[in-house]
Amino acid sequence: MAQSGFDRRRVNGPNESLQPVYDDGIKESNVLYKAWKPGEARRKRQAKDIRPICARHTATPPTPFVTQTVLKTGFIKQANGSAYIETEHTKVACAVYGPRQSKSSSYHEIGRLSVEVKFTPFSSLVRRVPIRDAEDRSVANLIQQALTSSVRLDLLPKSVIDIFVTVIECDGIESCIAAATVAASTSLAKAGIEMLGLVISCSGAVVGDDVWLDPNEEETQLASGILLCACMPALGVMTNVWQTGCLPLAKAFQSLQLCQERCIDIHQIAAQALHED
Amino acid sequence: MALQTQTGTSTDLNAQIFQRLHPRAYLERFIKEDIRPDGREATEWRDLSVHVGSISTANGSALVRLGDTTVICGVKAEIAEPDLERPKEGFLVPNIDLPALCGPRFKPGPPSEEAQVLSDRLASTITAAGVLPLSALCIHPERAVWVLYVDATCINYDGNVFDAALIAMVAALKNTTLPTATFNEETGRTMCSRKLRKPLPLECLPVSYTFGVFDGTTVLADPAAFEEPLLDTSISIVLDEGGALLSAGQLGIADKDTMSMCVSAAKERLETYGREIYAFLE
Repeated sequence: MAQSGFDRRRVNGPNESLQPVYDDGIKESNVLYKAWKPGEARRKRQAKDIRPICARHTATPPTPFVTQTVLKTGFIKQANGSAYIETEHTKVACAVYGPRQSKSSSYHEIGRLSVEVKFTPFSSLVRRVPIRDAEDRSVANLIQQALTSSVRLDLLPKSVIDIFVTVIECDGIESCIAAATVAASTSLAKAGIEMLGLVISCSGAVVGDDVWLDPNEEETQLASGILLCACMPALGVMTNVWQTGCLPLAKAFQSLQLCQERCIDIHQIAAQALHED
Repeated sequence: MALQTQTGTSTDLNAQIFQRLHPRAYLERFIKEDIRPDGREATEWRDLSVHVGSISTANGSALVRLGDTTVICGVKAEIAEPDLERPKEGFLVPNIDLPALCGPRFKPGPPSEEAQVLSDRLASTITAAGVLPLSALCIHPERAVWVLYVDATCINYDGNVFDAALIAMVAALKNTTLPTATFNEETGRTMCSRKLRKPLPLECLPVSYTFGVFDGTTVLADPAAFEEPLLDTSISIVLDEGGALLSAGQLGIADKDTMSMCVSAAKERLETYGREIYAFLE
């Protein structure tokens, strides 16, 4: 959208620019569900299906992003741990640096987990002006909440673990947060940081009577409520639950249950990716 | 990182400690043996791969890997009013981001000085080379033009980001299609048609070749992240697909012969490999 303000530290465009408007009146974000009516089934996949994480694409040139398994660890050479995850159009890269010395002078008995999230300007349909906004922080906060209880921070006094997440493409913010959480936890494991278990996250959107897992952008807009759940399947405990929208209690519990079941599958993929390295 | 051949042994540990404590001496000993820490010869380039169109939210995109250096670039097209002084010209806004993710020395927050310098160099190279005539972005003179935001992000920093970013930006522009737009003078609005999309008329496909001079004598092609801080001089040669010199830049001191040597080395590289870079994007 419009470029707000002039930033000396970047190459600047015009003061104001707008997204193109199309003559057919359809937003680019509304192609799959153009003629969808409430009560109809989910398009393209089953309600309980998530988008493939571990698919192998073949007919593309050799790049680490597409030819190998799409949850790939250790691709950022200088980072202590890193992971890249791709679920169709959602693409997230994550790097872990540390544990390193905390910059703040005050003494901390336990280590600190710092999460920074950055969206690339081209990651969503509307261009994101490259200025840190509130969304980056709230996403970072959710990832931090999901991870904190899984890491043995008590073993790392005075230190800080930096987790940097770059969202290359985002198709549905809740499933993007879930993917980033999985990538971050896998990176932490790759970095050799002591943890109680891998944190796996999954989101579910309540559309009518159904719960659609791992919703994309369009499905998010149809949903009456969305639930994001992070858990450690190895221990059977939940680390973070976040719900938006209006949901009957029974639906909320049902989605929680479904998310958790799916997390077990994702856990296997993450463990496999770490094992193959 | 560098010595991948002897992982796990105690000699490897010693070599790694030596590399961190005395990086200069470490590199010197390699150069003396006519080899570089990553196993390349002085004039050898790392493998390059270009992959386009993987980002659906962008009008055009490219992923470039140069060795381990990975740069991803996306082009977003928006509509704006043109500059009063140039009523028929659109805008091309190239920027590169070096996020904290890509290497341990980068900090989160606003663009570092390094990123600012890199953005500026990329912008001036793309403008000077005349990659895209800005008049091609005109929808209606004085009222509406396209703005192309060319944003590159470095995902993995292993040296020579300038070369990788330039290829990523040009490849992303080459991959970009714009919808046909018509300006309605009565309503003052621009409408786009989803059906007709056309590629950008690129006039020049530049490729940059960066060399580093170590110890005043040794010229290293395509410097890696470990070598970069130890170099006295960095020389970037930008050539178009026909081999014409578009720009040459030198940071630091060097003999008068070094520059011409780099130009001929760049041309040689273009002859052997350079033409293929954008050819497959047709």
